[in-house]
Amino acid sequence: MKGWFKSGKPWIWLTAGSVSISLIAVIGLLILIGWRGLSFFWPAQIHEMDVRATDGSISTIIGEVYDSETIPLSRLQESGVELDNYNEEMLDRWLIKVGNREYVPLDFTWVLEPQIVRDETPKDLAKLERAKDGNFYGYVVDVLENGESVATSDNVRAVLRERIERVVELNEQASDLQDSDIGAINYELNDLRLQRRALELEGKLTEAEEARIAAEEAQLRADYEVLEAELFELREQANRDAVVMRDMRGVEVTLPMYRMLDVSFPNDMGLLAKVGHFFVEIGKFISADPREANTEGGVFPAIFGTVFMVLLMSIIVTPFGVVAAIYLHEYAGKNAITRLIRIAVINLAGVPSIVYGVFGLGFFVYMVGGSLDQIFYPEALPSPTFGTPGVMWAAITLAILTLPVVIVSTEEGLSRIPSTLREGSLALGATKAETLWRIIIPMASPAIMTGLILAVARAAGEVAPLMLVGVVKSAPMLPVDGNFPYFHLDRKFMHLGFHIYDVGFQSPNVEAARPLVYATSFLLVTVIVGLNLTAIGVRNHLREKYRSLEH
Amino acid sequence: MISVTPTTQEATQLDLENLSADQTALTINNLNLHYGEAQALYDISMAIPKNRVTAFIGPSGCGKSTLLRCINRMNDLVEICKVSGEIRLHDKNIYDKDVDVAALRRNIGMVFQRPNPFPKSIYENVVYGMRLQGVNDRRTLDEVVERSLKGAALWDEVKDRLSASAFSLSGGQQQRLVIARAIAIEPEVLLLDEPTSALDPISTLTIEELITELKEKYTVVIVTHNMQQAARVSDQTAFLYMGKLIEYADTNTLFTTPSNKQTEDYITGRYG
Repeated sequence: MKGWFKSGKPWIWLTAGSVSISLIAVIGLLILIGWRGLSFFWPAQIHEMDVRATDGSISTIIGEVYDSETIPLSRLQESGVELDNYNEEMLDRWLIKVGNREYVPLDFTWVLEPQIVRDETPKDLAKLERAKDGNFYGYVVDVLENGESVATSDNVRAVLRERIERVVELNEQASDLQDSDIGAINYELNDLRLQRRALELEGKLTEAEEARIAAEEAQLRADYEVLEAELFELREQANRDAVVMRDMRGVEVTLPMYRMLDVSFPNDMGLLAKVGHFFVEIGKFISADPREANTEGGVFPAIFGTVFMVLLMSIIVTPFGVVAAIYLHEYAGKNAITRLIRIAVINLAGVPSIVYGVFGLGFFVYMVGGSLDQIFYPEALPSPTFGTPGVMWAAITLAILTLPVVIVSTEEGLSRIPSTLREGSLALGATKAETLWRIIIPMASPAIMTGLILAVARAAGEVAPLMLVGVVKSAPMLPVDGNFPYFHLDRKFMHLGFHIYDVGFQSPNVEAARPLVYATSFLLVTVIVGLNLTAIGVRNHLREKYRSLEH
Repeated sequence: MISVTPTTQEATQLDLENLSADQTALTINNLNLHYGEAQALYDISMAIPKNRVTAFIGPSGCGKSTLLRCINRMNDLVEICKVSGEIRLHDKNIYDKDVDVAALRRNIGMVFQRPNPFPKSIYENVVYGMRLQGVNDRRTLDEVVERSLKGAALWDEVKDRLSASAFSLSGGQQQRLVIARAIAIEPEVLLLDEPTSALDPISTLTIEELITELKEKYTVVIVTHNMQQAARVSDQTAFLYMGKLIEYADTNTLFTTPSNKQTEDYITGRYG
């Protein structure tokens, strides 16, 4: 035994064990998030069940099985539910998403497994995705055009598909019109309003100017009316069709078509169709805007906001951190004050991020932003431009948060460069600054990239400070659009991390949102890994280029 | 075995005590150097003749590299280093306040103990000094590269791969590249700080042959701890010990009939 200890084997086991545990933890986490997140997109079977209630009456339920859990019978009995002829200690209950929000009080319901007397998955059951009121489950009965039936029982599916495609097409045109053309007019109108106000404040609002602005406004309003008419026309067309469905109560209901997004018959899908549907759903999740208070639809604005904010942060933090590190390492005297500054910088990394959030709100948003507004945007006051949380302040706050990481890695990189190279450059008549620019900084660039990688990893996952300095639940406009000056750094933005918090813990139906939480988490991890892999790729390229003299 | 007998001696022997102005490249007058409290060089005075190879020899820590680094003010990089006395180049003290150190270093090139090519292509390494001076004309640079690499006896080996990384060269080639880099900006004086100590015997031989060629155009000062090398390549040799210049004489004289007991002990291998 003593010999075994001396041989060093226990030490090897201990170290290897720690590595294995870390590895298992990371892989397990990724698999869990990935599995739960991705299975959300797999088309689920729609069940039609007959359920016997405690009073003996039988009702039909149509919906997707969302979740199941095993509970002790005693708990049910305590809450007053009696089951006849059931003697097991434990029983299963299923969470069914029944949809049809406008017709049933709750679109989720729990069903006790022993109460199910019939469970089938008929091929004709359809799932209608809608922009409002969530999914609708039921049998397609008929398709109406201006109230007249246009389908027979043979071709009803094909007709429905075709009509939904038409509606989706029209809706897309309408939202394009609204976002780009009408949005641009609104933007210009607001611009004119601000121009008038600015001239008024400067006392230069002459009658000629007033007339010019009024004329431009009138022109824009006229354009607006034309576009608005076009928009209404599109909506009118979309409103033409309707679909008749038989729901789980056996009632036939007529649903207007203009809010339909998609129809599918998951019970009638082969494996190939399901795989296709799976990827289409993922594509929609990534590219679509959220609906229904974020509990449905996609997360595109959140992805865009996260990536945009992180890139903006990188652009701010890299030069700033590198310059600071160069001063500390190259120019500052090697004395106690420098050491003190270095310790202070390193310790900045340990400050809780919410503190940075508070600092960002107080200093950047209210002080700096407030002053900017008074100097540059007095015409917009009292509504703030930069004096309110926005993507720029979020990026700057996170830049300060990640600054120590960049400084420390850059300094390490600078100190790894062999002094012979500096001397070689100086001996050729280079000044210190020339040596820095031509030799030292290029050679330290892999270390700078390492700092940036760590900074990005930290910043992309940070949520707490962002809630104070710019993230919102739902941002109507992206920080980048087609209106001059294209980048609107004063706008608020959406963020995947905050989206997870919001959907998972702030939404009206937390049960329903759980798969979305997993899916969004998986996406957030993917985005961060993607950003990091890009940076690592750049770093490896630089490393290869500036391979050091070690040989 | 490499012979200890000096082979490169020219017929003309210079009177090192009384060099004429056009024979002199550098004059060192009463040079003292302190690292903080410790004194590293004591009252060094010597004249280094033009277009000749001067070797500094001595045991480790004797101050020979420190003296060499004084000549192009490389010691300025060491914060605690203080120099008094003067080194005159063209009758101007290089330690005067109005001296442009970068310009001085362009005029006095230096090659270090270990090859230190920059992480750039062979071509870019050679033209580094030219680019610093703002020369970016491709044809001029091409000419400089060819001339310098030929001058450093490297042209034939690398002319087909000038855009390859300098790190792809062997140690000896890298050291010749560094010499090419130094002579690309046409300095008057070339300082070599133990240029072969990190190289194998074959590369050492190539570099030594190169040094004897270099003195036709440049004044060469070489530091070496290898006495045979000093004997082979240099025209005059200075022996330093404990920061003092013990003896400075024609290489032939110093190695055959040293006038000082310490020199004799050192060259016969009794210490050091």
